[in-house]
Amino acid sequence: MGRQKIQFKWGYNMKANKMFSVKSLFLLALSVLMVLVTACGSGGNDAATGTADEKNEDGTYANNQTISYASVTDVSKANMDDKFHKFFTDKFNITWDYNYIDWDSWPEKMRLWINSGDLPDFASWNYVQGDAMNYIDQGLFYKFPDDWKERWPETAKAYASTGLGERLEEKVGGTYVLPKPVYFQNQPADPLLNQIGVIAIRKDWAEKVGFELKDAYTVTELMEFAKLVKEQDPGKVGNRLIPMSFNAGDLLTGFMMANNEHSRVESAFYKGEDGKYVWGPADESTLTGLKLMQQAYKDGLLDPEFYTWKNSEGGDAFKVTGISGIAGLGGLASYRQDMDTAMKKNLNLDSSEVVHEALIIGEDGKYRNLEQVNFWSSLIFSPDISQEKFERIMDMIEYSVSEDAQRILNLGFEGEDWKEENGELVSTLPEGTTLEDKYPGRFEGLYVLGDDFSVINPAIKKEFRDRSVELYKEKASLSTEGGAMADYDWDFQLYTSRAKDQANFDYATEYANLILQPGDLEANWKKWVESKQSLVQPVLDELNSGDFASK
Amino acid sequence: MKPATITPGSSKGEESKFKRLFIEIWKYRMTYTLLLPGLIWLILFAYLPMGGLSLAFKDYRANDGIWGSAWIGFENFKYVFRDPAFADAVWRTLYVNIIKLFITFPFPILLALLLNELRMRRYKKVLQTAFTFPHFLSWIIVSGIIINVLAYDGLVNSFLALIGLPTINFLGSEQNFYPMIILTDIWKSTGWGAIVFMAAISGIDQEQYEAAQIDGATRLQQMFRVTLPNIMPTVTIMFILSVGGLMSSGFDQIFNLANAATQNVSQVLDVYIYRITFQSSTDFSFSTAVSLFRSIVNMILLLLADRAAKWLGGDGLFR
Repeated sequence: MGRQKIQFKWGYNMKANKMFSVKSLFLLALSVLMVLVTACGSGGNDAATGTADEKNEDGTYANNQTISYASVTDVSKANMDDKFHKFFTDKFNITWDYNYIDWDSWPEKMRLWINSGDLPDFASWNYVQGDAMNYIDQGLFYKFPDDWKERWPETAKAYASTGLGERLEEKVGGTYVLPKPVYFQNQPADPLLNQIGVIAIRKDWAEKVGFELKDAYTVTELMEFAKLVKEQDPGKVGNRLIPMSFNAGDLLTGFMMANNEHSRVESAFYKGEDGKYVWGPADESTLTGLKLMQQAYKDGLLDPEFYTWKNSEGGDAFKVTGISGIAGLGGLASYRQDMDTAMKKNLNLDSSEVVHEALIIGEDGKYRNLEQVNFWSSLIFSPDISQEKFERIMDMIEYSVSEDAQRILNLGFEGEDWKEENGELVSTLPEGTTLEDKYPGRFEGLYVLGDDFSVINPAIKKEFRDRSVELYKEKASLSTEGGAMADYDWDFQLYTSRAKDQANFDYATEYANLILQPGDLEANWKKWVESKQSLVQPVLDELNSGDFASK
Repeated sequence: MKPATITPGSSKGEESKFKRLFIEIWKYRMTYTLLLPGLIWLILFAYLPMGGLSLAFKDYRANDGIWGSAWIGFENFKYVFRDPAFADAVWRTLYVNIIKLFITFPFPILLALLLNELRMRRYKKVLQTAFTFPHFLSWIIVSGIIINVLAYDGLVNSFLALIGLPTINFLGSEQNFYPMIILTDIWKSTGWGAIVFMAAISGIDQEQYEAAQIDGATRLQQMFRVTLPNIMPTVTIMFILSVGGLMSSGFDQIFNLANAATQNVSQVLDVYIYRITFQSSTDFSFSTAVSLFRSIVNMILLLLADRAAKWLGGDGLFR
């Protein structure tokens, strides 16, 4: 009886749900299969092929190539069909598959792409030595053909100027990374120091409060100016006034580096006088910088919440809202030009009239900065890139390095955007218009960084360019005549170890945290130094073991 | 006629067992089909990725993949335990989350009980929507609002200044950081958390309320003598699940509300894992080792909470 009942029930259900039972289950199984196939797919990369890039008789490229590229240049306002972009796509017969990476997620995104094998054909990558060695070792970067320097000689020259490229080659036995040269044809000074450490002061405010304008100030002198600004409010901005609009990064450069050139991550581990490596943040001079930072904060010279500021907020208080007397600027002429544009647009002020640029020196009167290694970030290629695509990209890079291309990339088109008069380059863009306004999202300057051309770029006011070079020269002379320059230690920089990776701290945040802690600053700093020893000491042990440079 | 005996473990018995199982599945095939997508999701996104935990014992190399990378035993854990920031992060995570658990956990229950007492359906729905809405805002948005409201020149401090009171350093104070975390968590998650308890309340037999009313129970007495005891199994399960997540909750919130001034109190384990994975040199094996450690502690806490619930006479997760 029970058996019959079950059979009846089955029969009933099967009749009522015939469609569901067969079709739905089939569709469901199909969906699952699709999910599995998608999840397990290889990503569909081009396999590396051995075919050379074909050219027509007139030297033009026979086949159109779709080239994927990732960089931090925002193209949201770009018109990819405008004359500028089209010039390059037509010249090289390519179609761009451009991948914009937001600045803040750049390292993360690149790490994920590289590790998952999803790297575009080529990408702009913020070079990290430990990661580079790791990725090269794993075959995650394309290895350049041995004869690439003969085939693309201008690129090879620019590559050689970085210093890093050839040193890395020796270590890994080939070219895998193209470090981007900061300067190529227009190096402003020798020795070259890092552009950081230049500040902007409100010249008109300084005159009103009777503060002397100089080329270099100690931190104490700057604090005196800030105090005068706070007391007299020469700009009449009321309670919105921020005498020094420094964020944690600016304080690291302005207060800490000025007193200890080894207080930053770039130079924290250095060789002492006895030839042994030591850790800079544990030096007494770090405490000098910290005390000044804390004093400035306690005296109300900094914003009470400077530590919550993101990238540009410090500078904005100076050039956008005009409520600050001192701000970090940096030494590039292009930064100064940006400040000029922003002040005109937002405050209706001529920055030449109200801004004075200066350097910061330590309390002992010494100038301190970092030796500028001539590269910043790099180009890397997908290990799966086809030979045709690689050659096409290298042709573009080779062209971009040339003088003709540099002028197009930085000035636009001759006759339309600029002209040459008496051997001088003259911009013909309407007053207040930049090339970025006319052709937004220009990412085709693939290799040599814009800093190089900015030294001679007529789109930047001559006085800004001259002042930038002047300050570079001043830095060079100050650092060689009694100052202190943290050398770029290639042995250390090219050395990789797990201990070194672990002892990588965000010093700007760490110092900001220390000065905000209650209690005695010196005791807190000593406690902090002690707390880092379990990570720092293994690195020092490795570095002082003798043969670390060969690893 | 003597019925045929089936010996357990014999092939005939096994066959019969599978047949019975198949018949059961076929009988309830509609239900099982509904279960299938969830099951597939669980396998694909919860069980298969567990294979990746093996990275904790390997020297991960992307070109060798998860399975091909070389085994290195407990080497990664040696580096994990060497970093004092790790131990600090573990204790801080437990500390923050235990405080959060005990303070925030009763709020959804309380809200569900109060909403259940409302008789005007429309008003009840409006309130429920208002309380649930914050859940749908991401922590990035919420933290943006909080920072603007609590900043020195924000709404709260401007009001304090207006009435002549001293301003308060909300964002840069270590003492204020945990209260801010707890209050924002209560604001954001209470409405959403109450849904589970509302569902449990709706399953209570109405006759119990009728009987209580006949016995002369007041509304408050009904709430505490009828409603609360009936939802206690749900409360217990939710509590055990919360305890099981003590080591891993709150990354979005803490990461977005923290700053240099509160670094010492905001470095919880998730923030630590983020920092070592993305802010230093890439080391997926190292971060997997930390994640595995966290998962094991979470599991131990979950089992302990389950045991404690049973020991106290309640229902546990595992029977």
